[in-house]
Amino acid sequence: MKPHTIELPLPSTPPRKILLRLPLGLLLPLLAVAGLELGVRSGLVPANLMPAPSEIGSTLLWLAEHGLGAHLAASCLRVAGGFVAGAVLALLLGALVALNARAERLLDPTFQALRAIPSLAWVPLLLLWFGIDETPKLILIAIGAFFPVYMGVVSGIRGVDRKLIEVGQLYRLAPLALARRVMLPAALPAILTGLRNGLSLAWMFMVAAELIAASRGLGYLLSDGRESSRADIMLGAIVLLALLGKLSDTAMGALEGRLLSWRDSYANRGAR
Amino acid sequence: MKRRSLLQLAASGAALSTLPAISRAAGLEELRLDYAYYSPTSLVLRHFGWLEDAFKADGTRVKWVLSAGSNRALEYLNANSIDIGSSAGLAALLAKANGTPIKTPYIYSRPEWTALVVPKNSPIRTLADLKGKKVAATKGTDPYLFLLRSLQSVGLRRGDIEHVALQHADGRAALEQGRVDAWAGLDPHMAAAELEGGARLLYRNVSFNTYGFLNVREDFLAKYPQQTARVIAAYEKARLWTRANPSEAAKILAAEAKVSLPVALLQVKLRSDFSNPQPSNEHLKALQLAAPILREEALVKPGTDLNAAIAGLIDTRFAQPLIARA
Amino acid sequence: MTALLELAIDEKRYGERRILHGFHLRLEAGEIVSLIGASGCGKSSLLSIAAGLDPAYRGSVRLRGGAVRGTHAEIGLIFQEPRLFPWLTVEQNIAFGANGAPDAGRIAALLEEVGLAGYGKSLPKQLSGGQAQRVAIARGLYTQPRVLLLDEPFSAVDAFTRMRLQDLLARVAAQHRLSVLLVTHDIDEALYLSDRIVLMDGVPGPARAEFEVNHERPRERAVLATSRLKPAILDSLHAVHAI
Repeated sequence: MKPHTIELPLPSTPPRKILLRLPLGLLLPLLAVAGLELGVRSGLVPANLMPAPSEIGSTLLWLAEHGLGAHLAASCLRVAGGFVAGAVLALLLGALVALNARAERLLDPTFQALRAIPSLAWVPLLLLWFGIDETPKLILIAIGAFFPVYMGVVSGIRGVDRKLIEVGQLYRLAPLALARRVMLPAALPAILTGLRNGLSLAWMFMVAAELIAASRGLGYLLSDGRESSRADIMLGAIVLLALLGKLSDTAMGALEGRLLSWRDSYANRGAR
Repeated sequence: MKRRSLLQLAASGAALSTLPAISRAAGLEELRLDYAYYSPTSLVLRHFGWLEDAFKADGTRVKWVLSAGSNRALEYLNANSIDIGSSAGLAALLAKANGTPIKTPYIYSRPEWTALVVPKNSPIRTLADLKGKKVAATKGTDPYLFLLRSLQSVGLRRGDIEHVALQHADGRAALEQGRVDAWAGLDPHMAAAELEGGARLLYRNVSFNTYGFLNVREDFLAKYPQQTARVIAAYEKARLWTRANPSEAAKILAAEAKVSLPVALLQVKLRSDFSNPQPSNEHLKALQLAAPILREEALVKPGTDLNAAIAGLIDTRFAQPLIARA
Repeated sequence: MTALLELAIDEKRYGERRILHGFHLRLEAGEIVSLIGASGCGKSSLLSIAAGLDPAYRGSVRLRGGAVRGTHAEIGLIFQEPRLFPWLTVEQNIAFGANGAPDAGRIAALLEEVGLAGYGKSLPKQLSGGQAQRVAIARGLYTQPRVLLLDEPFSAVDAFTRMRLQDLLARVAAQHRLSVLLVTHDIDEALYLSDRIVLMDGVPGPARAEFEVNHERPRERAVLATSRLKPAILDSLHAVHAI
């Protein structure tokens, strides 16, 4: 029997849809901004408590022409300086405590006690001892960055798989080489998490430092807005802090991703 | 003099006691107001409990909140944490212009409470010497605005000095520890710095001081006018008592602010004038003269109508029936 | 003739528990010896001691007659798990024991030999279990040991992969003229690979039994399946309550 054939029309290509590809993460902020704008304009939200986002935006533009750069630079430099100081110290001390049992017995209890002191409690003490210049601010930020990094280093090194260390011992690695070639890379995930947390705490402690006695910076702007009843300046400073914090965290996250691409973890599950 | 004051006390007391009968209308659960070391009559009022007495029959609680400066009082007013707050006039204008919904029906004092202070052996001799120096001042308060106006008088601007934002008491400490070169001071801290620390007043200017404004939230004033009137009447009682007993008032200030008696006497007797509590053209004019600094130093949003803010702030009529003649 | 490797363990304890007591083993040059026995009879401890990772014992380890304490370049150890460093590539893992610059030629030859040519730049997370174990073997061979100790090296992979890895080990041992001490639970594996099978007792003491495996090389699994050795070994295992 001859096979029955049917002529089917060629499938037509569907009209090309032009989709606006926005990152999904922008959805919530955009909705919030739109909602607030409507709320303030319609009078539902009192403007003296929550200025309209458009007003905050114009204030930011005004600030940009009147010295915002100096404030941004001051805050960013403080965070950078304090973070580096605190992180380096934490890397050294954390490695010492993790690798040397006597150092651990000597130092760790003290560090745990210091860690429990909240940031704001340090402020009056540092003001008293170091005055109101940059020194107490940098010290405060360094304190903030220190503890997460310290904990990351200690737990990272302590948590290194004993099996890997045995391989290192099998190859007769000297203690320093063992630390450098086995323990440090194995502890790297925890260390990087510690660094990332330390960075966000550094931002937080920077604001605390600037709220007390500063003449420049985003914390100063925040306090400035508060004292002059300028909620728009306050919120503008907060928006900038959020943006800068997010930027630096994203950068750290990207660094983490690159340095830890070898990890066979849930986060990397797509990549093979 | 004493007998006249006693009579006036009795008169205002009588006035106070009749008010409850009139105003049993709207029920106020809690009256929230501030007290401050820069408002001696608030301390007297709180000390004697006259407000608690006046409101006891209505079952209204009285809550007192300490304001560490005009900036705090205005912040609390803006956030609706207090209904009535004490601040300097120009500071109140700044807040009003930036959206804080307040009105001022009463002037609690005319003080000379601020000046620019330098340490004992400071090389700074004139206002112009302040250029490039570190000056502590509490943002949003009369001393800060006094600083700006003083600088302006010699052609300097906010950016020509290094402003260090510290609350009043911390500013004094910073001056005495040598961490700042100058301080826009406020009594009683300023008086204490002079008498106890040997500090020198670099620059004084009575007319740059902008009165003690008793501010009331607009919504509170609209909803509870009788209660507001009773508070003002109580303040009148305190004012008259303070005028009659300045040394006693100083003792109360000394105990509250934890300063010595000479310091308190300096503030109460020599640097405060309690004679004119009724807001009038005098106060409107003072604010109009002072207002430009707010725009020039960009403390208010560009395009703010300061005259409208002044007119909307000062209420020249509300307290008229309540002011005792003294 | 001095054995290549001689283990004479007088005593090894974990706390109060004695694990090894008076155990002796000789490994001749070029020999492949399997150690079988019940779980917990100290096989892994023995290998640890032989590799030099465990100094807490009374006794001696001798290489060509000379006492050895601690790890030795000529004695290599392959663990039960591949234990590759996850942050290093396959090449870097293989050359981990190198003193100085890695020898690219030797790495390439080893990769070829274990059947992973071209995988040099891969990361451990990209390898299957069997592939990872091959890299571990390559790493063990890189330092050119004379003795290779293996602790149940193929127990973690499936049956087919296991057979392929056994072939690899046999080839490699012959190619590099290694002496091999292999701990295993798999009798078939022991029969396939070894010249000699040593049975360890559950009670600490000397070896319980020894079996010479005289089958010709290359061994054939089909032939070994009917070997009379297997029932004999099974009987012995029964006797020591291993099964």
